[in-house]
Amino acid sequence: MYSETSSVKPLIYIMLLNLVGAALISIHYGGVNLEAIILTGAICLVSIISYAVVSLAELGDAYIYLIISVLGSVGGIMQTRIKPEYGIRQLKWFLVGTLCYFAAMLLYRLLNKWLHKLVPLYFGISVALFVATQLFGKTSHGSLNWIVIGSLSFQPSELIRIFFVLSLAAVFTAPVPDKYKDRLRLKPQHIRLLVASFITLVNVGFLILQREWGITLLFFAAYFFFLYVYGASRYYLLLNCFAAVGVGLFGAMRVSHIKVRIDTWLHPFADASAKGYQITQSLFAIGEGGMAGRGIGEGSVYFIPEVHSDFIFSAICEEMGVVGGLAILMLYFVLVYRGFKIALACTNAYNKAVAFGLSFILGLQTFIIIGGVTKMIPLTGITLPFVSYGGSSMLTTFAACGILQAISGNKEEITDEIQ
Amino acid sequence: MGSIFSKILTYIFVIIIYLFIYAIIRMIFLDIRAMNRKKSGSLAEAYLKLINLRRDLDFSMDESYELGDDEVIGRGNKCTLRLPDKYLSVRHCRIYKSDGSFFIEDLGSTNGTFLNGDELTDEAVELIDGDKISIGRLNFIFVMPKAED
Repeated sequence: MYSETSSVKPLIYIMLLNLVGAALISIHYGGVNLEAIILTGAICLVSIISYAVVSLAELGDAYIYLIISVLGSVGGIMQTRIKPEYGIRQLKWFLVGTLCYFAAMLLYRLLNKWLHKLVPLYFGISVALFVATQLFGKTSHGSLNWIVIGSLSFQPSELIRIFFVLSLAAVFTAPVPDKYKDRLRLKPQHIRLLVASFITLVNVGFLILQREWGITLLFFAAYFFFLYVYGASRYYLLLNCFAAVGVGLFGAMRVSHIKVRIDTWLHPFADASAKGYQITQSLFAIGEGGMAGRGIGEGSVYFIPEVHSDFIFSAICEEMGVVGGLAILMLYFVLVYRGFKIALACTNAYNKAVAFGLSFILGLQTFIIIGGVTKMIPLTGITLPFVSYGGSSMLTTFAACGILQAISGNKEEITDEIQ
Repeated sequence: MGSIFSKILTYIFVIIIYLFIYAIIRMIFLDIRAMNRKKSGSLAEAYLKLINLRRDLDFSMDESYELGDDEVIGRGNKCTLRLPDKYLSVRHCRIYKSDGSFFIEDLGSTNGTFLNGDELTDEAVELIDGDKISIGRLNFIFVMPKAED
């Protein structure tokens, strides 16, 4: 279906992009970093192979991987420009991520018939990971969110995102077995709401304990939109709204962490050298870049704190300008659009829900962090998918997109059998 | 010196991203247009309905294919109706309309074209509503809803 219009143009652009990027990096460091060049070449090669595999084997949507590979290339180039070690590690993560992408795709295809029955398993793994973080976790920047095993560190909440979407999708779409229909005292849709609310409550509870505000927001919003899409009553939606507003207000007044975030959002320049330092530096950088940017390697990105992870978008805006920042936003836009398109085209109810949830989370995560660093909403630390530095974020986002790929390539066999 | 180079290269860098986005959006646009063409089949005068179970086939097929005034069916690039079955010839058969009725003819295919079980010879045969057409591993029913009298 996709082969009719497939073309090699995007691949050529990906190669040109990496070539220009490598040239920029070489100018910046006044020399050629051989390892980075080899890895960049590897990324081009892997993109070509993946695109060929996806379009020749008719695995479904051919655009997802292309867009990811442009985002990953931009991320890799920016990371290398900030610090070569970061860049090289990021490029390696990209290659491992591609494996994750296809592994997730194959797994999802193979296990498709059972996935909606595994909710207890997802829940169990999520809780186990949360408890492990709580007990053995390491704190970074005020959030308890890392598990460190030897030299490997890993952020469990990134993985739990996917399990969360898989379980909510199952709860909202699973058919009620006939034999229980009469025996139940509650209506099936009420049971769904209760189970979904319970799962969300536990997840969000742990996240609040670990002071992961960004991801808490992500989880709650995903839950809320699931409720909305799957037709919960207005009262229940309102109830959730009030609960969220209540918790939010309480947090804003009592929890110093959140209070500081909101203060610096409203008055970033009141305490620009201490509390407001992050956001003001980010704003200075974006302002300094202007429309066209200062050129990659020419900006003073080291003034921005956490520039390689949360604030990567400010660095992109400084060096590539508003025009470059908008290009990145458009890439995310097309990616999320494809995700929703897949959800709309899909005929299997469970897969539809998973595609919806994953695309929603991807889009919202982008909004939370880009909105945060541009001072549109209060800043909460969360990664910018595929661009921010970080292995766990990269691998799990790759896996999420691999699932989207699997759903788009599904040839309705499953629905035929259910009918 | 380096600064000017970097600036120019950065512009090129950003322009390439936009070109990429343009290419992708164009491809998506073409895809959607191709899909819409397939979907508007309900208005077609006649169509081929697939009677194989789609899950038995290891390639993807639609439920039905609308027929225009002149369709060349086969595996090749230049066919107006491209089907991915390995057992089809590059140009397998042709269904065309003449004086209000549809005719089918074989285009010298290797595995032949069968109409209600009989292999077609050189001459074109008129199709009637409900005819069974077999090409390669695929079986179709020719459907031509009668125009209202």
